[in-house]
Amino acid sequence: MLVYTMRRLVGAIPVLVLASLLTFVMIDVSGDPLAELRMATPAPSEEVIQQEAERLYLDHSMPERYWLWVTGIGGDGNIGLLQGEFGPSTQGQQYEIGPAIAERLWTTLRLVGVAMMLALGLAIIAGAVSAMRQYSKLDYTLTFVGFLCLAMPTFWLAGIVQASGVEFNQLLDVQLFNTIGDGRYSAEGEGPWPQFVNAFAHMALPTLVLMLTSFASWSRYQRTSMLEVLNSDYVRLARAKGLRNKVVIRRHALRTALIPLTTVFALGVAGIIDGTILTETVFQWRGLGDFFITAVENNDSYALMGWLILSGVMVILANLIADLLYGVLDPRIRYE
Amino acid sequence: MTTENMSNTETDVAAHGDAILEVDALDVTFPSDDGSLPAVREVSYALRPGEALGIVGESGSGKSVTSMAIMGLLPKNAQVEGSVRLMGEEILGLPDKAISQVRGKKVAMIFQDPLTSLNPVYTIGFQISEAVLAHNDVGKKKAWERSRELLEVVGIPSPDQRLRQYPHELSGGMRQRVVIAIAMANDPDVIIADEPTTALDVTVQAQVLEALQSARRETGAALVLITHDLGVVAGQVERVAVMYGGRIVESGPVEEVFYRPRMPYALGLLGSLPRLDEDRAERLSPIRGAPPSLMAMPQGCAFAPRCPMARDLCHTEEPGLLRTLDNGDRVPPQPGDAIAHVAACHFSDELSEGIRPENLFRDADADAGTGNAGPVAAPSGADAPAAEAAGSERAERGPVGEPEVLLKAEDLVKNFPIRSKGLLKRKVGDVQAVSGVSLELRERETLALVGESGCGKSTTARLLLNLVRLTSGGVSYMGKPLQGLSDKQMRPLRRDLQIVFQDPFASLDPRMTVADIIAEPMLIHRTRNGGAKKRVKELLELVGLNPEHGSRYPHEFSGGQRQRIGVARALSLNPKVLVLDEPVSALDVSIQAGVINLLEDLQEELGLSYLFVSHDLSVVKHIADRVAVMYLGKIVETATTDQLFEAPAHPYTQALISAIPLPDPVKERTRERIVVTGDVPSPADPPSGCRFRTRCPKFARDLSEPEREKCVQEVPGLLERGSGHRDACHYSEVVELL
Repeated sequence: MLVYTMRRLVGAIPVLVLASLLTFVMIDVSGDPLAELRMATPAPSEEVIQQEAERLYLDHSMPERYWLWVTGIGGDGNIGLLQGEFGPSTQGQQYEIGPAIAERLWTTLRLVGVAMMLALGLAIIAGAVSAMRQYSKLDYTLTFVGFLCLAMPTFWLAGIVQASGVEFNQLLDVQLFNTIGDGRYSAEGEGPWPQFVNAFAHMALPTLVLMLTSFASWSRYQRTSMLEVLNSDYVRLARAKGLRNKVVIRRHALRTALIPLTTVFALGVAGIIDGTILTETVFQWRGLGDFFITAVENNDSYALMGWLILSGVMVILANLIADLLYGVLDPRIRYE
Repeated sequence: MTTENMSNTETDVAAHGDAILEVDALDVTFPSDDGSLPAVREVSYALRPGEALGIVGESGSGKSVTSMAIMGLLPKNAQVEGSVRLMGEEILGLPDKAISQVRGKKVAMIFQDPLTSLNPVYTIGFQISEAVLAHNDVGKKKAWERSRELLEVVGIPSPDQRLRQYPHELSGGMRQRVVIAIAMANDPDVIIADEPTTALDVTVQAQVLEALQSARRETGAALVLITHDLGVVAGQVERVAVMYGGRIVESGPVEEVFYRPRMPYALGLLGSLPRLDEDRAERLSPIRGAPPSLMAMPQGCAFAPRCPMARDLCHTEEPGLLRTLDNGDRVPPQPGDAIAHVAACHFSDELSEGIRPENLFRDADADAGTGNAGPVAAPSGADAPAAEAAGSERAERGPVGEPEVLLKAEDLVKNFPIRSKGLLKRKVGDVQAVSGVSLELRERETLALVGESGCGKSTTARLLLNLVRLTSGGVSYMGKPLQGLSDKQMRPLRRDLQIVFQDPFASLDPRMTVADIIAEPMLIHRTRNGGAKKRVKELLELVGLNPEHGSRYPHEFSGGQRQRIGVARALSLNPKVLVLDEPVSALDVSIQAGVINLLEDLQEELGLSYLFVSHDLSVVKHIADRVAVMYLGKIVETATTDQLFEAPAHPYTQALISAIPLPDPVKERTRERIVVTGDVPSPADPPSGCRFRTRCPKFARDLSEPEREKCVQEVPGLLERGSGHRDACHYSEVVELL
C-alpha cells in the first residue's frame, strides 16, 4: 500500500508538469497583462510600461518565462513555484499572490469540505433508500429532486437560495442567515458559541447550494449502484442464509454499493471547484472563487496560473485518495 | 369414480406426516406493462425427508421462479399464491423475522453462478461464519472453527488458508463448493440447488456434484435439484418433475419418466439430446418451434403448438396432471401418493413403451415457425425415411480416399503478455494460451476441438482464421501461408473462411435488420450489387427461416433462430470453411438439436468443412468426423470420433468422457468413473513435463515414483497409436468407457 502510494505520487509528477505547461501556455497567450495599463488615461509613459513589463518578466521569451515561473532561477525571488513563489501580480507591487491564495484557500476549503461531506452522506442515504423502495412515491420524489438540482445552473440555484434566505429572515424577523459575505472576522474574539452561530449563519446557504449540485448526481449514481447490488446473486445468497433484511442491506448491499461511488466522488471534485466560483460570487465570499474572478478582471496571469495549478493539485489528490479508498473498499484491487 | 379417491381426512394426515416440504398449487405472476406474466402455474409437489427430487425444464419454464417463491426471495412485485408448507407449517408470506428463521436453517439454497454468489468484499471464512452465526450464537471463534470443518466436508484442500481468502482468489468450482458449505452450515432439512453446475466445466461439475452428495450425507437433507441437464438429473435424483410453460407437465420416479415418458415434451427432450451412449449416425429429433413466451401463453396445453400429437382438444383444454392406467384411463393419483407417475397430456395413453422420439418428432426439424405443422398421425414406428436416409448418408461418408487439406496449422503458439501495472508496463510473463498446436482440416470434414474453459480452443480457432496474431508457428489455407498477411491481403481469403460465434444474442447487431446483417459480408466484399436481396432470401430459406422475415430485427427472434441467422451470415459468401465456436452451447436442448441438424444438412448440401469448437463431448460425438482434445494449450489426443469414444487413450480424454452425465438413470448410476481432482492450473505457469500430471488420476494412483519422474521431466509428444489415433501421454492405455 505504501509503495503503491509512493508510486502514485511519483506518477503524478509528469501529470503536474504537463498541467503546468498547459496552464502556462493557455494563460500566457490569452491576454496581455499590461492591456489595462496601456489603455489608461492619461496614457502612461513608455518608460512606465517598460518598467511594469520588466517587473512582470514580460521582457523574457515565453519558454524562459515558463522556466522562470516553475523554477524561479534567474528571477527576483518573487517567482518560482518550486520555491513557493507564484510570481508578481498586476494588482500592485504590494499584492502577493501566495499569501492571498493561502488565506482564501481556508475560506473555500471550509465551504467545499462541509458541502462535499454533507452531499456524500445525503447522496448515499437518498440513493440507497431510493433503490430499496424502487418505483415508490419516495423514490419518485427523490428522483425528481435530484433531477431538479441537476438541471438548475449553479448561479441560478444560488440566487434562489439567497433570495429565499432573505425572505426567511424577514419572515422570522431575525437575522438567521447571512446572505452576504463569508463572515470570517465578524465573530473574532468571542466565545465558541457565538463563533459557531456566526459561522453557521454565513455558511448555511452557500453550503446548501454547493451541496445540492453534487448531491444530485451522486445520489443518482448511488441509486443505480445500489439497485445493481440489490439484484445481485450474493445479496440473494445472504438472504438465503437467513440473515435479517437490515443486516443484508447494511453488510452486503450498502457496503459493496459504495465502491463505484469513490470514482464519481473524485471526478466530482473538479466540478465542485467550478461550483465554488459561482457560489462565492453570488454570496460575495472572499474565497478562491472570488480570487479567480478578480484575477481574470485584472489580467493577472500569475494569479490565474497559481489558481489553476492549485486546482490541478486538488484534482490529482482527490483521485489519489479515491484510488486508495478503492483499495480499502475492494479486496479485488491489488496494490503490489 | 375410481377406488383411488379415498376419504380425505385420512390421507391429509398421512400426507403431513410423510412430507417435509409440500408445495401446493403455487402460482407466481409478475405484473408488467404488457399485462401480467404467469411465470408459475399450479405447481404442486411434495418432498419426503432425505429424498432427492429433480426439476427439469428449459429456460423460462418457471423452475427457478418456483424455488425462489418457496424461499420468499422473489422481488416484491411478484404475486405469489398457493401454499408452501414446511413440516406442516405455512411459510409463504411470512414476515422478515420469521422467514429468516427458515432460510438457511431449515431450507438452504445454492445458486447457479458461483462467480457472483459470493460477496467480493468479504473473506470466505467471514461468509461461511456469517451463515453459522445467523442461526447459532456460538461466537466468532466457534463459527470459524465450524467453517473450517465445512470446507473439509466439501473437499476444499488447505481450508485454513482458504478461509482467509477472498472469493476472487478461488476458482469457480471451489466457489460453488463454498456455497454448498454455506448451504449445509446449519444442517438444513431441505437443500434447493438451482442449476448448481451449469456454469462449470464437466470435470469440475463431477467434483461439485460429489460435494453436494457429501453435504446430503452429512446433513440428511432432502434435495431439490433444478437443472436443464437430463444427464445430471438421471444420476442424482430419485424422482423428477418436468416443467414446461410454468407448469409441471410430468412427474414421477426417474426411471419411469426416462424410460416410459407419458408426455410428448419429455419424450421430445430426450430425443433432442445428442447422446454419448448412442450411435452417432442417428439423426437428432428436435422439437419444432420454441418454448412459449409468458406474454402469449397458448390456449389449452402450452406444448400443443409444438406437439406432433396435438389435436383440437389440446388447443382448447389444458390437460390435468393425471396418472395413466394400463388400460389407457387417466385418473388422479391417490391423495398423499407423492411419487405416482403423472403426466399432463390428454393422449398420454398413446405414448406406450417403445415409442421412439424420432418417430414422433421426425418432421419437426424447422424451428422457423413457417407453419409446416407436420402430420399428426399416431406414430407407427416404421416410417422414418428422412432420418434413416440422413443416417445412412452419414455412415457412407467414411474415409474416401484422401480429401484435400484446406486449413493446416503447424506448431501454433500464442502467448498473451502479462504486463506490470506501473507506468512502464514491463512484460513480466506470458499466458501461454496455445503452445504448439498442429492440426489439419480436410475438405468436407468436421474437426472438433474439445476442451474445458481456458484450454485455448477458441484462441486456436481464431489463430486459424488469422483473427489473432500468432506468436510463432504457421497457418496455411490451401497451401497459402496466412501468417504475416496484412488485413488487406487477408480480406479476399475471408470469403472462404467464416465464423459463427457462441452467443447468438451478442453476435448480431440489434440495430440492423436481419436482411442487412446477412447482406453485410456481401457488401464488404462487393460480391452482389443487385442480387443481394434475392440471396438473403435464399439464405434465410436455407437455414430454415421464413424468407419474408428479413426486415425484422434480431430481438424478434428466439435464440435458436438467431443462431440460424448467424449461420446464414457466415454462408452468404459461399465459404469453404466454417469455424463454429460453441455454436449451440447457449441454446436450450430442444432448440440445439435443430441447429445441429441444420449444420449437418448444410455440410452435405454445400460441401463445407467445419472446425467445431466445443466443450460438449456429446454434441461433438454426434457431429464430428475427427476430434482433437485440448488441455492447457496443447492437444493431448486426436483421433477419429469412433476411435476416440470407443478407445480413449489419454487419461484426460477418459476423465472428460467419464465426467459427462448420461441421460439414462440406470447406465448413469452403474458406470465406471475416472475422476480428476482439482482445477486447471494457470496457463501463466503450467506444470513442467506433462501439463496434465497435476490432475492426472493415473499419475496419482497407478504410477510408481520413477515413472512419475518421467511425467515431471519430459513433455510427452503427440505420438501415433495407429490409424491416425495419436495421444500425448507417456503411459497411455486404451480404456473402454461407454
